[in-house]
Amino acid sequence: MKKFLAVLLMAAMTLSLVACGSTKDSSKKFIMGIDAEYPPFSYMGDDGEYTGFDVEICRAACEKLGYEFEIFGVNWDEKLVQLDAHECDCVWAGMTILDSMKEAGYVLSAPYYENAQVIIVKENSGINTAADLAGKDVAVMLGTSGEDLLNNDLSDMRDTFNNLITCDSFLKCFTELGGEAVEAVFVDYPVALSYANENEGYKILDEQFGGEQYGIAFRSGDEELCKAIEGAVADLVKDGTYAKIAEKYPDIIDNLVFLR
Amino acid sequence: MSLWTMVIKMATGLERTCAIFFLTVLFSLPLGMIVALLRMSKNKVVSGVTRFVISVLRGTPLMLQLLAVTYGPYYLFGLTVSKNKLIPVVIAFSINYAAYFAEIYRGGIESIAKGQYEAAEVLGYSKTQTFIRIILPQVIKRIMPSVTNEVVTLVKDTSMAFTVSYQEMFTIGKEIANSQTSFMPFIVAGVFYFVFNAIVDFAMGKVEKKLNYYQ
Repeated sequence: MKKFLAVLLMAAMTLSLVACGSTKDSSKKFIMGIDAEYPPFSYMGDDGEYTGFDVEICRAACEKLGYEFEIFGVNWDEKLVQLDAHECDCVWAGMTILDSMKEAGYVLSAPYYENAQVIIVKENSGINTAADLAGKDVAVMLGTSGEDLLNNDLSDMRDTFNNLITCDSFLKCFTELGGEAVEAVFVDYPVALSYANENEGYKILDEQFGGEQYGIAFRSGDEELCKAIEGAVADLVKDGTYAKIAEKYPDIIDNLVFLR
Repeated sequence: MSLWTMVIKMATGLERTCAIFFLTVLFSLPLGMIVALLRMSKNKVVSGVTRFVISVLRGTPLMLQLLAVTYGPYYLFGLTVSKNKLIPVVIAFSINYAAYFAEIYRGGIESIAKGQYEAAEVLGYSKTQTFIRIILPQVIKRIMPSVTNEVVTLVKDTSMAFTVSYQEMFTIGKEIANSQTSFMPFIVAGVFYFVFNAIVDFAMGKVEKKLNYYQ
C-alpha cells in the first residue's frame, strides 16, 4: 500500500511539473515589473492594491492593446536579472535610463519623465547646502540612480561624507534619517517630495543633482513590444487619458515629458 | 571592474561578516544554555514562559527580528537608531540562535539516562557537581553534530544583516553587482561563504574528534 501511494505521489508530482511547462497560453499577458515602494509612481494603495502613476498608465495601455495586465514587484537591486528571467516583461516604475543598460542590450523606451536627485534632511538639523554634509552620515537606496551618481559623477562629494550607507528600500533610508542614524538621505525628487509632504519636520535642500530621465526597460529583442507600448501610451496622450491620470499626481505633473 | 578588484573590495566586508559570526557564537552558546535550563525548570511558569519565547523566536523569520531589534525602538519609543549597526545585528542574531541552541541542549540533556543521576547521588555528588562533571561532558559530545549544523547556517545567515544596512561582504557584493550590472559578485560571494564554511566544518570536525576520547 505504501509503495502504491509513493508511486501515485510521484506520478502526481511529475504531472504537476508538466502542467507548469504548459501554462503559456495564447492570450497575451503583460507583466509589469515595479518597485512596490516607489510613490507616487508605483506603490500599494490604501485598499491594498498596487497603484500609482506608472501603474495606471500601464493598465490603460494594456487595455488599449488588449493585453492581460499583471503586476510583479521586483527586487529593485536585481530588477534586470528578474527581467531577464521572464519574471516580468518590463521594468517600469520610475526607472532611470542608464547608458550601462543600453550597452547591456536592453530595449529602452523614449523617456517620459525628467528627474533629479535631491537631499532630504531634518528641518532642525542646521544643514542647508550639500557642503554642510561634510563629515556627516548619509543614506542612499541601493540600485537607485542616486547611488550611481555618488559612486561616479559625485564621488568627490561622497568622499566628504563620514559614511555612506545603502538601504534596500526608501522607507529604511527615511527610518535611518528619522532615527538619527544618518543626517541626510540622497533620494529621487518625487519620493523626497511626497515624504516631506506627508511627514512633519523634514526639508529638501534646494540643490538638485544629475539630470536624468525615466523610461521603460524591456528585454533585448523585445523591440516590437516596446513599440506597441509606446504607441499605446502615445494614444493615451492624444485622447487625454494621460493628462487625466497625471492630474491625480500633482507632485510629478510638471516634469512629465509628454505633457509639455 | 576586474575580477580581482571585485574580490578585494568584497574581502574588506569579510571582516564585518566575521564580526557577526564570532560575536554571535560567543554570546549565543552560553545564552542558549541559560535558556535551556530555564526551559527545563521545575517551575511551571518559568518553563512555560521560556517555551513561549522560544516558539516566537523560532516561529518568526530572523529577518523580521533583525528589523524589530534595529528599528523597533525608534518606531515604538522614538529612540534613535544605532549608528553602529553591529550592535543590533549581534543582539538579534544571538537571541535567535540562543533559542535554537537551547532546544539542542535540552535534547542532549534529556537524552542522558536517569540512572546516571541516581548513581551520582549514591556516590555523594551534589546536583551541580553531577551536572557539570558527569552530564555536561556527555551532552557536549552528543550535540556536537547539531551545533555544527547551526553554526554552518549562521555563516550563511550573516548575509541577512543587509536588511538593516550593515555593510558586510554580501552587501558590498550587491552594490558591485548593481553598479556593474554583473552577476559575478554573487559567484564570488558564494565562493567566500563556501570557503568560510569549509574552514568552520574542518574546525568543528577537529573538536568532535578531540571529544571522542572513549572510542
